[in-house]
Parts: sequence; C-alpha cells; structure tokens
Amino acid sequence: MTRWGMVIDLDLCTGCAACEVACKSENNIATVPPDQAMMGRSISWMKVETDLEGEFPETRAVFYPRPCMHCDNPPCIRVCPVGATYINDEGVVGQIYPRCIGCRYCANACPYIAKYFNWYGPEWSESERQHLNPDVSVRPKGVIEKCTFCHHRLQKAREEARAEGREMLEADYQPACVESCPTAAITFGDLDDPEHRVAELKEDPRAMRLMEDLGTRPKVYYLAPRE
Amino acid sequence: MRRDAAAILADMPPDERVLLRPLLETSRGFRVTATLLAAVTVWGVVAYYLQVRYGLGRTGLNRPGYWGIYIISFVFFIGISHAGTLISAILRVSKAEWRRSITRSAELITVLVIGFGAIQPIVDLGRPDRVLTVILHAQMLSPLLWDVISIGLYFTACTVYLYVPMLPDLALIRDSGIKYPRLYTFLAAGYRDTPAQRARLERVIGVLSIVVIPIAISVHTVIGWIFAMTLRPMWHSTIFGPYFVMGAIYSGIAAILVAMVVLRKAYGLQEYFKDIHFDYLGRLLLVFSLLWFYFTFAEYLTAFYGGEPAEMRAFWAKISGPFAVPFWTMVAGCFFVPLALMSRRSTRTPRGTFVAGIAVMVGMWLERFNIVVPTSVNPRWEIESVGRYLPSWIELSIMAATFSGFILVYMLATKFIPIVSIWEIKEGREESVHLVADRVAGYLPGHPAQPERADP
Amino acid sequence: MSPTRREFVWTAGAAGAALALTRVPDVIWTAQSDDEIAWQPGIEDRLTSTCLVCPARCGIRGRVVDGNLVEIGGNPLHPVSRGGVCPRGIAGVQTLYHPGRISSPLERVGPRGSGEWREISREEALSRVSERLGGLREEGRPEKLALVSGYCAGTMSDLWRQFLVAFGTPNRVPEEYHDGTDLVMGLMHGMRRQPGYDLENARFVLSFGAPLFESWWSPLQAYVAFSGRGTGGERPHFVQVDTRFSRTAAGAHEWVGIRPGTHAVLALGIAYVLIRDGLIDERFLDQHVSGFEDFTDQQGRRRTGYRSLVTRNYRSEEVSAVTGVSVERISSLARDFARGGAAVAVCGSDVTQSAHGLLAGLAVHSLNVLVGSVGRAGGVMFGDAPPLGSLPQPVLDATATSGLERERVGSSGVPFGEGDPSLRFARGVVDSSEPTIEALLVYYANPLASSPRPDLWEDAIDRIPFVVSFSPFLDETASLADVILPDLLSYERWQDAPVPRSHPYPVWGIARPLVEPQAGGTHTGDAILSLARSLGGSVAESLPFEGFETVLRVRARGLFVAGRGMTLGDEFGRRHHRQMEQRGWWLPEHGDFDSFWDDLVEKGGWLDLFYDETDPARISQREDGRIALMPEELLEVLEAQGRRDAMYIEVVSPGSEEAPLLLIPYRLSTLSSGTLSLERWLSELPTVLPEVFWEPWVEVNPETAHDLGLDDGDMVHVASERGRYRARLKVFPGTAAGTVCAPYRLRHPDGEGANPLQLLDDSHDPLTGLSSWFSTPIRLERA
Ligand SMILES: Nc1nc2c(c(=O)[nH]1)N[C@H]1C(S)=C(S)[C@@H](COP(=O)(O)OP(=O)(O)OC[C@H]3O[C@@H](n4cnc5c(=O)[nH]c(N)nc54)[C@H](O)[C@@H]3O)O[C@H]1N2
Ligand SMILES: Nc1nc2c(c(=O)[nH]1)N[C@H]1C(S)=C(S)[C@@H](COP(=O)(O)OP(=O)(O)OC[C@H]3O[C@@H](n4cnc5c(=O)[nH]c(N)nc54)[C@H](O)[C@@H]3O)O[C@H]1N2
Ligand code: SF4
Ligand code: SF4
Ligand code: SF4
Ligand code: SF4
Ligand code: SF4
Ligand SMILES: [Mo]
Repeated sequence: MTRWGMVIDLDLCTGCAACEVACKSENNIATVPPDQAMMGRSISWMKVETDLEGEFPETRAVFYPRPCMHCDNPPCIRVCPVGATYINDEGVVGQIYPRCIGCRYCANACPYIAKYFNWYGPEWSESERQHLNPDVSVRPKGVIEKCTFCHHRLQKAREEARAEGREMLEADYQPACVESCPTAAITFGDLDDPEHRVAELKEDPRAMRLMEDLGTRPKVYYLAPRE
Repeated sequence: MRRDAAAILADMPPDERVLLRPLLETSRGFRVTATLLAAVTVWGVVAYYLQVRYGLGRTGLNRPGYWGIYIISFVFFIGISHAGTLISAILRVSKAEWRRSITRSAELITVLVIGFGAIQPIVDLGRPDRVLTVILHAQMLSPLLWDVISIGLYFTACTVYLYVPMLPDLALIRDSGIKYPRLYTFLAAGYRDTPAQRARLERVIGVLSIVVIPIAISVHTVIGWIFAMTLRPMWHSTIFGPYFVMGAIYSGIAAILVAMVVLRKAYGLQEYFKDIHFDYLGRLLLVFSLLWFYFTFAEYLTAFYGGEPAEMRAFWAKISGPFAVPFWTMVAGCFFVPLALMSRRSTRTPRGTFVAGIAVMVGMWLERFNIVVPTSVNPRWEIESVGRYLPSWIELSIMAATFSGFILVYMLATKFIPIVSIWEIKEGREESVHLVADRVAGYLPGHPAQPERADP
Repeated sequence: MSPTRREFVWTAGAAGAALALTRVPDVIWTAQSDDEIAWQPGIEDRLTSTCLVCPARCGIRGRVVDGNLVEIGGNPLHPVSRGGVCPRGIAGVQTLYHPGRISSPLERVGPRGSGEWREISREEALSRVSERLGGLREEGRPEKLALVSGYCAGTMSDLWRQFLVAFGTPNRVPEEYHDGTDLVMGLMHGMRRQPGYDLENARFVLSFGAPLFESWWSPLQAYVAFSGRGTGGERPHFVQVDTRFSRTAAGAHEWVGIRPGTHAVLALGIAYVLIRDGLIDERFLDQHVSGFEDFTDQQGRRRTGYRSLVTRNYRSEEVSAVTGVSVERISSLARDFARGGAAVAVCGSDVTQSAHGLLAGLAVHSLNVLVGSVGRAGGVMFGDAPPLGSLPQPVLDATATSGLERERVGSSGVPFGEGDPSLRFARGVVDSSEPTIEALLVYYANPLASSPRPDLWEDAIDRIPFVVSFSPFLDETASLADVILPDLLSYERWQDAPVPRSHPYPVWGIARPLVEPQAGGTHTGDAILSLARSLGGSVAESLPFEGFETVLRVRARGLFVAGRGMTLGDEFGRRHHRQMEQRGWWLPEHGDFDSFWDDLVEKGGWLDLFYDETDPARISQREDGRIALMPEELLEVLEAQGRRDAMYIEVVSPGSEEAPLLLIPYRLSTLSSGTLSLERWLSELPTVLPEVFWEPWVEVNPETAHDLGLDDGDMVHVASERGRYRARLKVFPGTAAGTVCAPYRLRHPDGEGANPLQLLDDSHDPLTGLSSWFSTPIRLERA
C-alpha cells in the first residue's frame, strides 16, 4: 500500500520560509490585506511555527514547518457533514471545494489547526493572474482549504510515467515545499516503500510525530533536533 | 365586525373573556414595541445580506477562532427551546396540575426558538447557497448531521405538540367568530370537541408528551457532542451531553419565567399566572442552579485535576485569563443570583423570578460563549499563537435581530392564539379538582388504591 | 476593506462545477462568473536562468506555461544554490506581474512630483535623452552627466563604465553593497576584494554578525554548507556571534549573544586563548605572516606585534566583562575553533560598519590567520574572477579626456575606500554654488527613499535639471524624473550573473528571458547601446554592439577560449572536472562557440572548480608576500590621526553606555528590494521570527518594554536626533535589554516609510567613511 508521507529534519530547518512561499506559489494562495492578516486570516498551508525559549542571551528556537499532517486517522474528515474532506486510499487527505459548505467544523476538529478558511474571496489583479498555476484551482470565498501534499503533482507524475511506459520514481513526485527547501530539511515519499528515504528516516531514533498521544497517526514525521 | 366581536367577547364566560381579549385588542405599547423590534430585525437582515454579499470576512471570526456568536446563539436558542416542550411534557406526564396555565406559552417559545436557533448554523456557513448539500451528500459520521436530524425531528414533534393541544381553543375561536373565521376554520381542522374527539385528543397528547422527551434530550446531547467529538481542550469531555441538556432545561425555565412575567403584566393575566406558579417554577430554577453548579464544578475539576497542559491553557484562560470576566459573570448569573433569590420564599415572586430568569439567561449565554470561544482560540499546540475573537457589528446585529425577531413573532402569535390554554383551564376547573382530590386520597393509607384515570 | 475592492474578481477553478445547485444565489456569490477556468493542457516549459533579485545570484528554473511564468524553483545544477532558492526568489513572479509596473516610457508633463506623465515611444524617449546628453558633450561639459546605479555587478556595470568613460564623465555614484571586508583584505593580503569563504568544506564556522542565513552575500551558499548536501552529509558546526537573536542565530548550532559593538573584542579574546594555549598554526605564521611578533618597520622603528598586543590587552576576564560572554565560553570557542583544522571566522559587514569598523574587521579576520585558515579548503579563499572576454578599450576623444580629468563630485577624502559615495555626491551637488550636474541617470537605485539622508537627495535632484530613470516601477526617485525609460524585469532580459566573491570558485551565471518582454519596456543595456549610437563618434566606437545579448556573447567567448572550467553540470560532472583540472587536464566539451553558448544558456552558466592552493599569490599579494597582521600603511594613517596605539585596541564601538536605547537596524531576509516591497507573499509574512504581518515593527526585550511602560502590539514612534518613524512594538525575548532591533526595508501598507537608517546619526569610521550603523541612541514613544 502506498502511504505518502513527509519527514522534516528540525536540525536542518533554519526557518527561512522558502517552503511557505513555494507552497503559496504552487497552490495559488492569495494574501489577505493587512487588517485581515492582523486578525489571523492569512492563509499558509505550510506554516513555520517557532518554539521559542529563554531570554537574551539564552534564547533558543526550534522551527517547525507545519503542513497538514495527513493523519491516517484524521479527526477532521469524520466531522464534515457533507464529506467535503476525505482521505484517499494512498493516505492523502483532500478537500472537495465545490462541496464544502464552509461550516469550519473540520477546522475546529483538526488539533493542528492545519485548515484555513476563505473569509473573503481571493484577490488577484488582472496582471497577477498570469502567475497562477493552472494545475491548481483557485478557491472561492467561503470554503476551507489546506495542504494537499501537492496532489496535482502526483497526478501529473503518474501520467508522465505512464506516458513514458515506466514506473513512477520517488523523484517524480515531490511537493513544492520539498523541492524549494534550501537545506533539504524536508523529505517526501511513500512511507511504506522501503526504497524511499522517508521509510528509513521515519525509523530514525529522532523521529517523532506531533501530538502522537491523540491517536491521529500523522504521516508527517519530525526528526527532533540534536542537542 | 369589530364592534360585533367585542360584543361577543363581552358575552363570553370570564376565562374566555380575559384570554381572548389580546386577540382583539392591541395596545399602543404593543405597537411601539413591535415596531422597534421589527426595525432591529430588519437591521439584522441587512447585516446578513452584507455578510452573504461580501463573505464571512465581515464577522470577527478568524483562525483559530473559527466559531463565534452564531454558534453560541445556536446552542443558546436551541437550549431555550427546552423550555416549553420538555417541561410541559414532564409536567403533563407527571400530572402536575399547576401546569395548565403555563404550557401553552412555554410550548410556543419552544417552537419559535427552535426555528430561530436552527437558522444560526446556516447564518454561520461560508456557503449558505450550498446548504442543501447537507442532504445531497449527507455524511452520517458527522455530529452536525446528527444534529440536523434530531433538530428536524424535534421541530416537527414540538410543532405538533403545540398544535394538537391548541385545537379545542382554535375551534372555540372559530365558533365564536370573533376573528378571521376562514383562518380559524382552516386551523381548527374540523375539530368539534365531541367527547370522542376530546378523548382522542387527550390520548394523542399523552403519547406526544412521552415521545417528545427523548427527542428533546437527544437534541441538546447531540449539540454537546458537536464539541465533545473533537479533540480540542475542554471540549473533548464525556459530560458534555448531559451537561448541555441540563443547561438547556435550566435556561428554558428561565425563559418561561421571564415570558410569564411579561405576559402577566401585558395582558393582565394575574389570575392565570399566579404567585404559586412563580413559586413552583422558582423552586425548579433553584434545583437547576444547584445542578448547574454540580455539573460545572465536576467539569472544571476534572480538567484541572488532570492538569493536561493544553487543557490547562484553556482552563486558565477562563479562570483568570482573558475570559475571566465572562466566566465569573456566568458563575454569578447561573449560580449566585438564582441561588440567592430562589432560596427564599420572599423573593420567589414574579419580580424575583424575573430578575433570576434574566440572570440565568445572561449566564447561560455566557456559558455557551465560555465553551465556544476560549477553546477555539487556544490551540492545542502551545507554540501556535493564541487567537483573539471580537465579534463584528454584523454578528452583533444578527444576534440582536435573532432576539428581536423571536420576541416579535412571539408577540404576534399572542394576537392569534390564546397564550393560556382555555380548554385546559376549563378542564381543570370542571374535572381535575375532583380527580386530584380522589387521587390524593388514593395515595393515603386506608383507602383502596384508586385506579388512575386510565387515559380514555 | 471596501465593497468595491471586495468585488474584485476572483476565479474559481474546478470549484465552479458543483455550484450548479442553485443558480440564483450564485449571482450574489460571485462578482464574476464562477465558471471553471477550463483546464487546458498548456504548453509548458522549464527554463534555466539566474535569480537577479539579490547579489547571491542563485540558479533558478522557471516554469513557463503558455508564455506566463507561473513558478520559480531552483536549478539543481547550480554549484552554489544546488536547487535551493529563498522565499524572495520564489516570490519573483509577483514582481514580474506586479500591477504597479510602468507600461510605457514616460515623459513628465506637469511640474516635478505632480505625477502627470505623458506616454511616449521608446524612440522618442531615447532621442530626448540623447539630445540632452549630446548637448553636454557639444558644449564640452561631459562631466556634468552623472549616473547613480544600484547593485549590478557584471556586464551591466562594465557597460555603464564603458559608456561613462567614452562619454567623458567621472561621475558614477555606486549605490552598491559595500561591506568593508574588501578593505580589510586589501590591507592584510594586498588584495582589495571580498574574501571567499569555503563554508562547505569547513568544520567550524564562526560568524561574527554575518547574517549568513539572512542577507549575506549568498544565503544559499550558507544554507547548502549548513545542510551538508554537497559533502555527503558532513556538516560544519555553525556558531553565530550576534547582538540579537537573529534567524541566523536561531538556525545555527550555537548562538553567542554579545553586547553591541564588541564582536572584535570577542575575536581578540579568542585569539588570546589561542595564543596562550598554543593553539595557533606556528608554521603558517612563520611562512606567510608578518607582524605577529614585535618587529621593526621600514623606518626602523620598533613596533609592537600582534602577539604582545593581544596577550597584554585581551585577557579572558576583561573580554568577558566587555562582551558579556563568559570566560568558559570564550575558552571553549577558542578550543573548538582551533581543534581539527578547517575553521573559518566570517566577518559580517556589521563588524565593519561601526565607528572602528576597519580595525574590528582586521581583528576578526586575524583569527583565520592565526589558525592558518587561508588559501586552504574550509578556510578563507581568494578565487579568480571568471576569465571573461573583455570589452574593447574605450575610445576617448578630446571632450572625453578633458571631462575625465575633472574631479568627481563629492570626492572621497578618507584614507581607505570610498566611504558612502552616494551621500557625498548628494552633498557635493547641494553644496556647490554653480550647477555641478546637469543630467542624472538613475539605474536600479532609489536614493530618495534608500539614502540615510533623503532630504539631501531631494535638494540635489532639485538642482539637477534633467533626470532620467530606468526604473520599471514608479519609486520615489522615478517619480521626480523627467523621462522614464522602464527597464525590462529580470525574467524578461539577458544578463550575466557572476556569483558573489564569497564563493571560493568563480561561477558565471546567466539570466535569460523566460517570458516575452512587456511591450513598453526596454533593456537598459540596449538603451545604453542605442544612446551611444545616437551620440555617435568615439562614444559609438567604444560600444560597437548591436544589442546586449551580443555583449554577453563577447564575454562568454572569453570563457570558451580560456581552456578551463565547464558549463554547469551535476555533482558527478563537477567532481570529474575538478579531478581532471587538478592533474592539469582540460578537455573541450564543445566544438564551436555557438554550441558552447547554447549549452551555457541551457545549463545556466559556467564554473571553474579548480583552485591552486600552492599559488602564493592566493595568500598574499603584498610586497613581502606575507599576510600583514600589522599593515604598515594603516599604522601610519593611525599615527597621523594621533591614534598611535589604536591597532587592535580601539575596536569597541562607543555609544552603548550613555544611550538609553540603542538602535540595531537589521535587514530582513525576505524583502528583496531596498525600498519597494513588491511581493505580497513576502510583505504579508515577512519573517517567522517574530511572527508579524505587513506592518513595520521594532523588537525590544520584555524587561525594556516593561520599563518603558509599553506593551506588545503598541504603536510607537522610534525617534532619534535625526527623525522618527512609526512602528509596531514587538516584545521579543531574544533582544538584549536596552537595544531596539529595527528591521529595515519595510513600509506601512499605505506606503508610509519606516526606514531606521534615516535615524542614524553621522558617526562613521574615520578610516573608511563607512557609517556606523549600530551606535545611534534612540527613544521610543507611544504613538
Ligand atoms: N539576500 C540578500 N542579501 C543581500 C542583500 C539583499 O537585498 N538580499 N543586500 C545586500 C546589501 S545592499 C547589503 S548593504 C547587505 C546588508 O547586509 P548586512 O550589512 O550584513 O546587514 P544586516 O543584514 O542588516 O545585518 C546586520 C547585522 O548586524 C548585527 N549587529 C547588530 N548590532 C551590532 C553591533 O553593534 N555591532 C555589530 N558588529 N553588529 C551588530 C545585527 O544583529 C544584524 O544581524 O546585504 C547584502 N546582501
Ligand atoms: N528603506 C530602506 N532604505 C535602505 C535600505 C533598506 O533596506 N530599506 N538599505 C540600505 C542599503 S544597505 C542599500 S545598499 C541601499 C540600496 O538602495 P538602492 O540602491 O537605492 O536600492 P533600492 O532601494 O532597492 O532601489 C532599487 C530600485 O531599482 C528599481 N528596480 C527594481 N528592479 C529593477 C530592474 O529590474 N531594473 C531596473 N533598472 N531597476 C529596477 C526599483 O524601482 C527600486 O526602487 O539602500 C539603503 N537604504
Ligand atoms: S524551506 Fe526548509 S529550512 Fe526553510 S523553513 Fe522550510 S523547512 Fe525550514
Ligand atoms: S492535520 Fe488536521 S487537517 Fe490534516 S489530516 Fe490531520 S486532522 Fe485533518
Ligand atoms: S468546512 Fe467544509 S470541509 Fe470542513 S467540515 Fe464544513 S463542509 Fe466539511
Ligand atoms: S506538500 Fe504541497 S501543499 Fe503541502 S505544504 Fe508542501 S507545497 Fe504546500
Ligand atoms: S538568495 Fe538572492 S539570488 Fe538567491 S534565490 Fe534568494 S533572492 Fe534570489
Ligand atoms: Mo547595501
């Protein structure tokens, strides 16, 4: 069984936010105006969270890049009254934008707050529309959205591999955030395929998952920073 | 026509005369109040239009404060709805004779308030245009869907439960011809108050009052589960089902009391809403204030004792953090004020219960607030920044409109149906006095156990 | 948010499909039609180029669909960035498609600053400029022309130089990245150039305030080294010495929090331990270094050497008291630095941009010398410049010759380097009684907003009758221009992109048009060439090129014939190439120049990994062939200034004691242009440390905030003698008490400026003229 997953090495993450911006560019995520951002309405499917401790000069920080965890047991999908969020048989948790009624129940059910809501419709000027990625739909106002593991890339990679009559390789399907990371802190692949690096990395003694005790079984692993 | 009706009314027996008068006479105060309420309601409708037009962004909601006023109002109003039906059903089943004059006004609250409560989640939707998707793509694992079903059932049951016992009164109005004969002919649905019909009516009421109890309990249990089924701190709690039901009944009693005081004053119903009613309901309120304290204490103690960090953040946010004011106001409103007022006979008066009722309603609204907002804005992951939620004027307007709309429709309803059940009062006067005497006698030693009047 | 803005169209992609439920509400729901953008299999391309957003010049790949640039990712073949990019690079698409871009050449019609323009054609604009410039030459006053240019290292810079020389003016005002390390290297190594740091092969990287992960010459070079991706997972240990908890400090393995202005004291404290504990590389010092021991100078005077100075003045307790770093930490830093070789101390521009910047820079770099980390893998290296084909010798007619003999406006007057030429130029224009400059060209710079003295620049521009801007955006300076000939944006044009010299090997990246240029834009390179053509005569002769692409080909031909290097290749190719060159082999890979050029463009550039460690000229080019720890020319200047004993002694920046609050401006790593924030994605979330949105902010320690009676989120005025600006207060525990960290390059959402650099007082290093950025006392007031 294919189970797509991610391993993020916290030791390598410098909090540069390239992953955040790469995700926005790949997935047509609009910005919100300043007053909205101040209210906490900006959208960032990948969000670098900072665990900050201590005062000058003893301050320490660990950066946690946080996509959707694509939980194997996702609390978000059960609560959706219309099945607009679902998990597919490869473990990717997706959203059906045209079906979402915008009740935000899933957003409240997600312990990682990985879901984002379109409080208004996205704003793109005429010229900015030229840089929208045609592979990804622009979400209308009033619906929930979140990291999709760049699922459209999987579809493309599959098609390409099929067209070339070969097996799809690990390198064929890599999300935008993974590709952009300058320190290669993020690894992506099939957790169940021993050939893929993530399969090995998730067994690393440093590997952990967020809020493991909740039983959500995230498919995003973190390698704890070495002290 | 009008003079005729007044003349007819003047010729009627005293109960009818008093109880039907509001159907014919409308005071200036009523008109002014209704106009004001209508204005507020229209204002709220405009606010909602703006929200639909421009998006939910017009609210103060955000991430992680995903839910706010609308969900609070939803829980609150559906809670109030336990006023009527549930209480009147329990009183009917337990044959509490003092219920006769209060059931109608209580049941009316229920039906209206379910309607006003049930639209709240729709107001809260990002895409109200897609609301039918809930039926087309029903996903039965979602507690929201359980709610859609139980509220739907509840609304139907309550409407029937309001309507059926109203039939004899509707027939009375029809027969008296004091108002819109065709409307009342239609509403009375051929009810002639023959003994057979009356017997069937009583049987239906008996069945309904039993059926409606589990439905009512399920409704608020499921609403509690909406929160409890998530893994969020201070939501994920098994006590939420019963806690919500208890709170609902509590706020329902408070609502009845307030409504009764107002009706009594407005329509001169001192003879029907007697001090004894306030005394009894006041005692009930007292019991519930103690129950409320018990549940709340149990809920917070378990959270506190466990000391789970995420729970504690939400906990302290309420106890001493940014939500301390709403929290302690809630405790005052739901516990101290009613306890103080209702534990003494001298304040279990209409005026005393009115104050206590208002305090409990405010307290219970705040309880919903304290459940929804602090958890919503306190992410489980401590490194996520804590959110802030301030409702926008759109949300406040819609909330105000919900209150005003409800009161307005309630007021208007009193112009079409007698707010005290005339036939039940009459029945009480004519039969129950003896029946009760016999029944009480039957409880006593030395008398053969009187067979209960089997429902005919 | 006004309804009209809200109605702003949005497009629902596939989302529209299921909306068909109810058609009526749709009208309310969508200002524009909600219909699906029918997905079409667009014509898709991935094209290699180079990011020109900052001096790092990383390799990129643009994803172009149907002629639109939709995504920017890294070029895995690029030897410095290795497929990585930074957020600014990615957000470049938002610069390219920025709605505020100027769409046609403009001529001012109203008075200056009125914002009234007339669209003119490119030809009209060029002839307007050439008439004006031609006039200056005809009247024999070519020196009345000046150019102010921002960062444009590479052929654009060379082309401007060629043009100005042939025209006959010495007035070129570079608004470039002067970090002062070149002056340090000039003194110690006799090579005035920025040092290269072989971070990738280092074992221990000790950065003195260099914002390696933020705005360093090449953050990607630092990231790649940090990740160990080029060395099979071997990672250097990164230690960041910094006055604030910067993102570099947070990401590094260790952070040494230090008092403002005391970096050099810590460096010398470490030197002290190295010397005391015998951790220095005696052999290297013997062979390659002068001035370590006491010595006799050329005039025969006895001079104190480095060893004596340091052992006498930098005992650990004293250093600890000054810097705030504990004695044990100093010792352990020294031991870690010396143990096992390949340690490198990186000198940040923040060390050099202080009142004693040059001396402090020397102090930091002396650590590399002590442990012999010079000219070796993992140390400081001086790589070559790429062997580019040169431009022809400029032809000078009499007018040009006489013009070039004139003095530059606002000449330097500092012993080393040029100081701040832009500021001096503005002052020169304003101070002179007669008109000094009659025509000003502004390329890639916006001094009216970026200068610490915008008021001076405003006066200066007031006195210049003709101003031409090449800016694609209507920035402050362009707004006052008489003619605007908007440049193409970097994704539309040809440009060469040598990586900064912080990289130890030469890499010549190439940027090429990824999308069709916008009709109204003109490549400034082409504009220079056509100006030269219309000026005719010797100017035209000096620039005999058809277009800018031709110039680049001329330069690339130099690489083709150099007999070294390769077009960018993968890891394997690079290793192979290096091994071959080390053995003295080089095989041409391309039969002719055209195929070389095509390959160069396809791969994204050229590199040469070979570094001859045995070449003594790579260690020192001073007369005696040694690295000078006590450069005599500096000693003499110091003596002349009456600071006889300044060397290695006067390295602490003053100011922190008496000031109630000290301003520490810092550069945000995410905002790409000095004064224009064009990318919404970056403005919205400019950094993750601390969490902020859109608005300018300043960071203060919780204690300081408490003392000032201010709370997190308060709006404050940051004020100095010079001026003030508005910013949001952010309480941040990583900020030292008594300091105010102020990110620059931000603006308020409404455009209001918030430039901490404009608060700086006039203090500067008397040796280099570089202004001191970390010594301005300021106040915070609730706004
Ligand atoms: N990626 C990218 N890189 C760039 C640029 C760009 O646009 N993008 N621009 C380039 C340009 S033009 C410039 S000028 C440079 C700017 O780069 P730098 O000159 O390095 O300037 P900042 O990034 O502002 O870094 C200032 C640092 O100095 C530290 N500091 C604070 N107080 C003191 C003190 O008292 N003494 C010392 N010694 N240090 C202190 C601060 O903590 C901060 O980390 O960046 C260049 N590099
Ligand atoms: N507010 C503020 N002031 C600063 C700084 C800051 O970060 N913020 N940094 C300081 C430092 S360290 C420096 S080095 C200076 C730098 O200051 P400047 O050299 O003046 O650089 P910028 O302010 O970035 O202005 C560059 C201008 O070039 C234009 N431009 C952008 N892209 C292109 C292009 O493709 N072609 C052409 N021809 N023009 C283009 C833009 O309009 C932009 O305004 O500023 C200093 N002052
Ligand atoms: S791109 Fe990589 S290093 Fe940068 S924040 Fe994301 S995970 Fe961390
Ligand atoms: S992280 Fe949240 S949104 Fe993602 S699958 Fe898990 S519960 Fe759902
Ligand atoms: S917001 Fe959308 S996806 Fe989330 S629960 Fe509601 S309908 Fe489902
Ligand atoms: S996997 Fe794709 S969608 Fe998810 S955070 Fe990364 S770039 Fe964004
Ligand atoms: S570091 Fe500079 S050159 Fe490299 S991607 Fe970022 S902006 Fe572009
Ligand atoms: Mo700069």
